[in-house]
Amino acid sequence: MTGSRLPWVRPLVALVIGAVFFIPLYIALINVFKASGQVARDTMSLPAPPTLDNLVRVLTDPDSLFWSSLRTSVVVTSLSIVILTVLSAMLGHYLARHGQWWSRAVMVLLLCGLMIPPQVILIPVTQVLKSLGLMSTLQGLVLFNVGYYVPFGVFVFSGFMKGIPRELEEAAAIDGATRWQTFWRVVFPLLRPATASVLIFLGVWIWNDFLNPLIIYGPREGTTIMTGVYKSLGQYAADFGGMFALMFLATLPILVFYLLLQKQFVKGLTGGATKG
Amino acid sequence: MAVSTTHRRPGALTRRGSRRPVRPGLWHFLTFAAPGTLVYTCLVLLPIAMSVGYSLTNQALLRPNTRFVGLRNYALLFKDDTFLSSLRVTTILSLIVVIVPNVLGVAIAVVLDRRGWLYNALRSVFFTPMVISSVVISVIWTRVLADDGPVNQGLRALGVSEPPGWLSDPDIALYSLSSIVCWQMLGFCVVVYLAGLQGVPQELAEAAAIDGAGPLRRFWKVTWPLLAPALTINTVVLLISAFKIFDHVKVITNGGPGTGTTASVAFVVLQEGFVENRTGYASAEAVVMLVIIALLSVVTLRILQRREVQL
Repeated sequence: MTGSRLPWVRPLVALVIGAVFFIPLYIALINVFKASGQVARDTMSLPAPPTLDNLVRVLTDPDSLFWSSLRTSVVVTSLSIVILTVLSAMLGHYLARHGQWWSRAVMVLLLCGLMIPPQVILIPVTQVLKSLGLMSTLQGLVLFNVGYYVPFGVFVFSGFMKGIPRELEEAAAIDGATRWQTFWRVVFPLLRPATASVLIFLGVWIWNDFLNPLIIYGPREGTTIMTGVYKSLGQYAADFGGMFALMFLATLPILVFYLLLQKQFVKGLTGGATKG
Repeated sequence: MAVSTTHRRPGALTRRGSRRPVRPGLWHFLTFAAPGTLVYTCLVLLPIAMSVGYSLTNQALLRPNTRFVGLRNYALLFKDDTFLSSLRVTTILSLIVVIVPNVLGVAIAVVLDRRGWLYNALRSVFFTPMVISSVVISVIWTRVLADDGPVNQGLRALGVSEPPGWLSDPDIALYSLSSIVCWQMLGFCVVVYLAGLQGVPQELAEAAAIDGAGPLRRFWKVTWPLLAPALTINTVVLLISAFKIFDHVKVITNGGPGTGTTASVAFVVLQEGFVENRTGYASAEAVVMLVIIALLSVVTLRILQRREVQL
């Protein structure tokens, strides 16, 4: 056992691997606070002197690209994850509790959805959304997110349902609760760890999504935060400091969201992983 | 499995107390199951069927009359250099992205499998790239690997007079791109393997140690077989993500350098469908992509799950 004879080997190895792995993130972080000239000259060194100019420049940009795409992303992401949580919790509960042949068939169809790349369906999806009059709208993007990610939500919730005793629901039913009341007052509160992992996974995926907003919402109507970053690559071609600042600001909200829910999320992830 | 939760004592809870039927009623279906199923059907299942339909036509934006052409698009695909090269690119990308994060992920998880603030902090470090958008990751790495970026500055300082053009050399770009994706996916593998390691009973490793097994032998004979479910999850997730890779290609290389050296299938489908506007042909590519990914996932799952059952 290396650990018992040389107790400092493991932490040292861990630290070195971690440090090497972290270098790109370090570069992204320090360059936010450097004058643009210094970024190109020496990317690796610490900012001397540190400056908030880059952040100020992005935040006060006359096009207000950051603010408008931030608003779009907040609206799209929060609407999508709230609707997704509600719909997939109910559907997951229904499918987990009712074992007729067609519930199982729906389950299999949903599981197939977990592996479908968006590229395969995007061309017809634009047609479907056009015929609904929702192409290039926020509602269209939200609707697509809901359809595309519902399998993931159902997968997590129905897996989690196995750990919740049926007797609780039967007791509530005997006490005269409707199915609706039983679900929202008894079952849903018990699903909290699953809800946390669904919210965090989908929140991160939808916030960070680039392809779907690019095609469905399109640059003409405006941008979400990540299509905004992509769009401004040209604008910031010579301004590395500004680019890193914009990316920093675009990542900050989802990073905070993730850190707030992280504890719950690791529980949910490991719970799902071991249940299989 | 889950017997304790689904099993009911006969007669213990009869339905007499409740006036509601046991079997789900129409209203129950409409409120609980229908909305999710409907949106999924309209935006995923129906489009798959439509893709198959489009792929049998010569539909294109600038062509007024679309007509049925049978399997012609599919026949053309296998003579199309762009498409064949995208299959090659995706194969290389998938192999690297499935193997490297799995190998490094196990190794790092074994190192981090301890309690303490240092290990907790490092777990967060490895997971952070998973929470950051591929677009942002791609821009960061574009800067890091630029010809005058920090990596090459370092190499020059070490005396390498002509460091490689990581993203501009057609022979290297695909491998650089794959490494970036591996870096991003590594954290996911580490977390899943760490969860798997928590499920390895300490007594087993100790028993093997008493029997005289060294650390490597203990890992291969005791720990690794018990990590089989984690390997299955990681491999399938990595395989599927590798097939979807678009953002990195779009932002970092836009398919280049040269012609199509890093153009993955996912990239080519969108290029053909939304830039060239050859909807029918792009749909045929999309259908081929779907068939490949379905076959690969099913086969991989079968093989890996058989390993799990042995235990």
